[in-house]
Amino acid sequence: MEAPPLHDPARDLWIVPIRHHSPACAAHLERLLAAVGPKAVLIEGPLDFEPLIEQVCDPRTRAPVAIVALRDAAKDSGNRRVVSYFPFCSHSPELIALQTAAASGIPARLIDLPSTDPAMMPGGDEDTGARSLIGDETPFDVGDYVTALARELGCRDGNEVWDQLFESRIAEPDWARFFADVGQYCACIRGAVSSDAMTRDGTLAREAQMRALIARHRAATEGPIVVLVGGFHAAALIDPGRDKVVEPKPGAGRSYLVRYGMRQLDALAGYSAGLALPGFYERLWQARETGGKALALDLITGFAAHLRGTDLAAPSLPVVLNAVEQAERLAALRGRPFPARDDIIDAVRSSFIKDEIPVGEVPLLAELRAWLTGSAIGDVPPSAGSPPLVEAVRDSARALGFTIADGERRTRELDIYRKPRHREASRLCHAMALIGSDFAQRTAGPDFRNDAGLDRLHEIWSVCWSPNVETRLIELSEVADTLTEALAAVLAEKLAKLSQQGRGRSAIAAIDLYAAACRAGLGEAADAVLDAVERHVLDDPELASLIAALTDLVLLRRSREVLAIADTATLDRIMAAAWRRILVLLPELAYCGEDQLRPAIAALADLRGLIELARSSGAPLDLALFDEALARLGEAELDPMLAGAVTAFALTGGQIAPAALEQRLRGELASGYVEPADRLAFLGGVVAIARELLWTTPVIITALNDVVAGASEEAFVALLPHLRLALMPLDPRETDRLASEVADLIGADPNRLAVLVALPEDDFAANLALDRELHAILVRDGLA
Amino acid sequence: MTEQTEAIRRPAEQRYAAELAQLAADDTKNPRPAGWRLSPRAVRKFLLGDAKLGIARKFYGDDPLADRAIVSLMSQQGLMLVGEPGTAKSLLSELLAAAVSGTSALVVQGSAGTTEDHIRYGWNYALLLAEGPSARALVPSPVLNAMRTGRIVRFEEITRCPPEVQDALISILSEKALALPELGPDAVSMAAPGFNVIATANLRDRGVHEISSALKRRFNFETVHPISDPDFERELVLKQLAERLEPAGIVVRGEREVADLLVRTFQDLRTGRTAEGVNLNRPDAVMSTAEAVNVLHAAALEAVYLDDGRLSGMHVARQIQGVVLKDSPEDGKRLRAYVDHIVKERAGRSGVWKEFYQAARSLKLG
Repeated sequence: MEAPPLHDPARDLWIVPIRHHSPACAAHLERLLAAVGPKAVLIEGPLDFEPLIEQVCDPRTRAPVAIVALRDAAKDSGNRRVVSYFPFCSHSPELIALQTAAASGIPARLIDLPSTDPAMMPGGDEDTGARSLIGDETPFDVGDYVTALARELGCRDGNEVWDQLFESRIAEPDWARFFADVGQYCACIRGAVSSDAMTRDGTLAREAQMRALIARHRAATEGPIVVLVGGFHAAALIDPGRDKVVEPKPGAGRSYLVRYGMRQLDALAGYSAGLALPGFYERLWQARETGGKALALDLITGFAAHLRGTDLAAPSLPVVLNAVEQAERLAALRGRPFPARDDIIDAVRSSFIKDEIPVGEVPLLAELRAWLTGSAIGDVPPSAGSPPLVEAVRDSARALGFTIADGERRTRELDIYRKPRHREASRLCHAMALIGSDFAQRTAGPDFRNDAGLDRLHEIWSVCWSPNVETRLIELSEVADTLTEALAAVLAEKLAKLSQQGRGRSAIAAIDLYAAACRAGLGEAADAVLDAVERHVLDDPELASLIAALTDLVLLRRSREVLAIADTATLDRIMAAAWRRILVLLPELAYCGEDQLRPAIAALADLRGLIELARSSGAPLDLALFDEALARLGEAELDPMLAGAVTAFALTGGQIAPAALEQRLRGELASGYVEPADRLAFLGGVVAIARELLWTTPVIITALNDVVAGASEEAFVALLPHLRLALMPLDPRETDRLASEVADLIGADPNRLAVLVALPEDDFAANLALDRELHAILVRDGLA
Repeated sequence: MTEQTEAIRRPAEQRYAAELAQLAADDTKNPRPAGWRLSPRAVRKFLLGDAKLGIARKFYGDDPLADRAIVSLMSQQGLMLVGEPGTAKSLLSELLAAAVSGTSALVVQGSAGTTEDHIRYGWNYALLLAEGPSARALVPSPVLNAMRTGRIVRFEEITRCPPEVQDALISILSEKALALPELGPDAVSMAAPGFNVIATANLRDRGVHEISSALKRRFNFETVHPISDPDFERELVLKQLAERLEPAGIVVRGEREVADLLVRTFQDLRTGRTAEGVNLNRPDAVMSTAEAVNVLHAAALEAVYLDDGRLSGMHVARQIQGVVLKDSPEDGKRLRAYVDHIVKERAGRSGVWKEFYQAARSLKLG
């Protein structure tokens, strides 16, 4: 494959092939511009972005920044807008060219099709994934040519091939040879792509535009011109051609210069353009003068220092030294002048991790990738505009009556039941809270999730449109153009995090998320979260957490109108699944260990609450099935306490008569257990589930009274603490009520139940002195 | 030195003597670390193959790992190869030792019975009694031999040794010297350049010991993973099957289809997820490429000697239970579920899967 000539003497045209975001290309471009001294610089970039060049070159602009372009999608593809980005980082050859041109006062022009042209959006408007306006660079990573070359050079992928062949030459003085080799390499890659594919993805249309604009600027400029294009296109620009310029349509789209982040730059590389892990290439760019000599040392010690600030174990000095040595030796083995990206990652992998590395990502390597990606966010001059997500949220906030002109903190009271507009505003606040912008904090209001404060009619919010809010929105604008999309993205991320944190088996956290999504007004879109809830429900081995989860779901369903859940089909399905699972697990309680007894009783009490809630809110649960499951549990040989709980449950459900409970209770109280505690365990179980039975079912008190009355003084004293323990769940009011019932029963005077014991003044003083003394001793012994 | 004229399996330096000689002859320009027989680049070619020199590839699936392993051997650190059984850890260590030192025979086989003597030195007791402690009476371990001659010593299955025995390596690795106090107050054996240790270990198997942190720090760890690309694994399995069958002059038919079935089954069970994205319970048993070769080999022998010579899904089904049922009875249920759901579905579409399904249904899988 013939490489295109770098210089066309007939037209005095330097067609410079580059790879986007390549520091080696940027460094050689600096040398080339200094040597050639062009009279104009032409850059592959959408023609309609030319008005923004001034902002890009503004001294207050700090990379990474991006030009974001939006246009309305075709009418038949829904109401979405198409958004695309043209990013610059400090080592982008395009940025170097623009800055150099501005500094030397020569014109810099863009020569690609307008961003609104259909050829710039291959795949049509539906393809919302294609968001980069920089030419597609996937041929650098896939394809037979690159794969074969990688095998030949012993590299694992196209990225390593590129590093080996070109980034390693960042410090070489011979720019002409460098660009000739880039041209050759790109021509070979181009040779492996069919012209059909190039027609389909708009490459040929774009190249026609480039040829036409080169011709136009050539005619208007005296002296040498440097044309900066993706290496892929260079071969197509040698022939002057007779193409016509496609002019931008006025008003067809808008574009802004926005702050951009290294992280987004990397995500972008994930789909099409540039090099992954831009933080690494930024460091390489900074080390270009020294030829990358100290790069491994800088990066590995830098990463080790970074680790000291995280939860991950930081390596010791010998390990760091070994890693640097490892990186240098790997580079030597692989024939590179200094360690490339993969050598450094390999060195850290070998040296830092003293253990087996499972398939998939390990935390330390994930941290390394994140660190090599970088987290810097650029800055733009105040005159620049903002991306669509920011505009969309600003618009709706303004429309809902929020003040966003300043950063003052204000309080807003929302009447969410009666005023639809206030409900909308509440949803916006909840949504902004969910996506992690600190726009609004709720200080008061009903909590549908926890069944608290439901009598409140108003929500009170503290709101503030700070610069941080916009930062968060800009961060999200890479993945979303509307608040709904941003919410979906954040939800997906949180769900993924949930399973990573190992809370994957608990449905509660997923339901929390669902509740938050509902409050934010996601409606049916929140159903994606329900799928996760369902998975957790099906996996959950714990009766208690299942009951808690189902209770939450019933509560949410009850408030479906306020939460804008129009279709409860999915919710109902999951509730039914959880209910079935509870009924399967219920009879298993019979076999729980002694240490699990108390939690089991507590779960049963919760279950009773759940059933009552389901009944009162009309939740579609088949409650009849519960009686069967309970009966199955009752058939097993149960611990007395559990038996008490189950019997109380059966009585409240009407399956057994009070007489059956009385008989069992008398049997337990009078039993021959060695421990008095065991005699009262049954009563404890009854009280834990349904303490109202103490006064609604008088036979219990009668039975209890008979046992107490019949006990000897000694036996009564032994029984007393356990009796107190069994009745502990009662609150003071209920204790009083029970006491008066008992007084009635034995004919005592209810007024004598409470006795005021007078304390003589001397005793009181003596007690106080004793207390002080004790306190002094505790202080002396260091126990206070 | 081994003096057998015929052996079931010869060491790597003998099997690949011609390739090693070829590489040494070609390896004049590249720098060689002191004590190495070949340059690091030539060692790399020996492992990963070089078409121009006619060197065959011997290590598959993870080229960067080979680079890292070679580079670790040049450093002060030892090399620890970890991973599931059957992932060619020992083969890699043998090849590295053969290429770097010209011998893979310096081996300590780790077991519960390994003592410090196997790592340091023992005594010829007859001489010891007759002459007292002397250099002649001292019996050096493979480690001490490797130190004296500047070669690589291999420590197989290091986690099978109790930690206190493993720890005898700590000072050897950090000091690169071994004191011999019985031979005099100043008697020390210093490691010659080229000495290093390659250990292989299994960190998750049953009945293995921990490695102390102090020892871990003296090693660079490399994890050898099973091969994840099914097409590649199938080719590898077929190649190794041919290597086993050809010397015996055995010819089977239909092995490609069956190998495809086998590799897909192994990959599904190994990852707990089918190619179609259905999740399943992973068996505890090790489903390595080496096991797949064993299954296919046994199935081929059955097809040739007990059947008509056509390898079928049925033969694989009968052999696979021996692999899966090794570890726990639960695994039988997991394989049963896999057969009942995944294999049944595939059986409707392909003949070999149908044979596999029918034979697997009749297995006693618990």
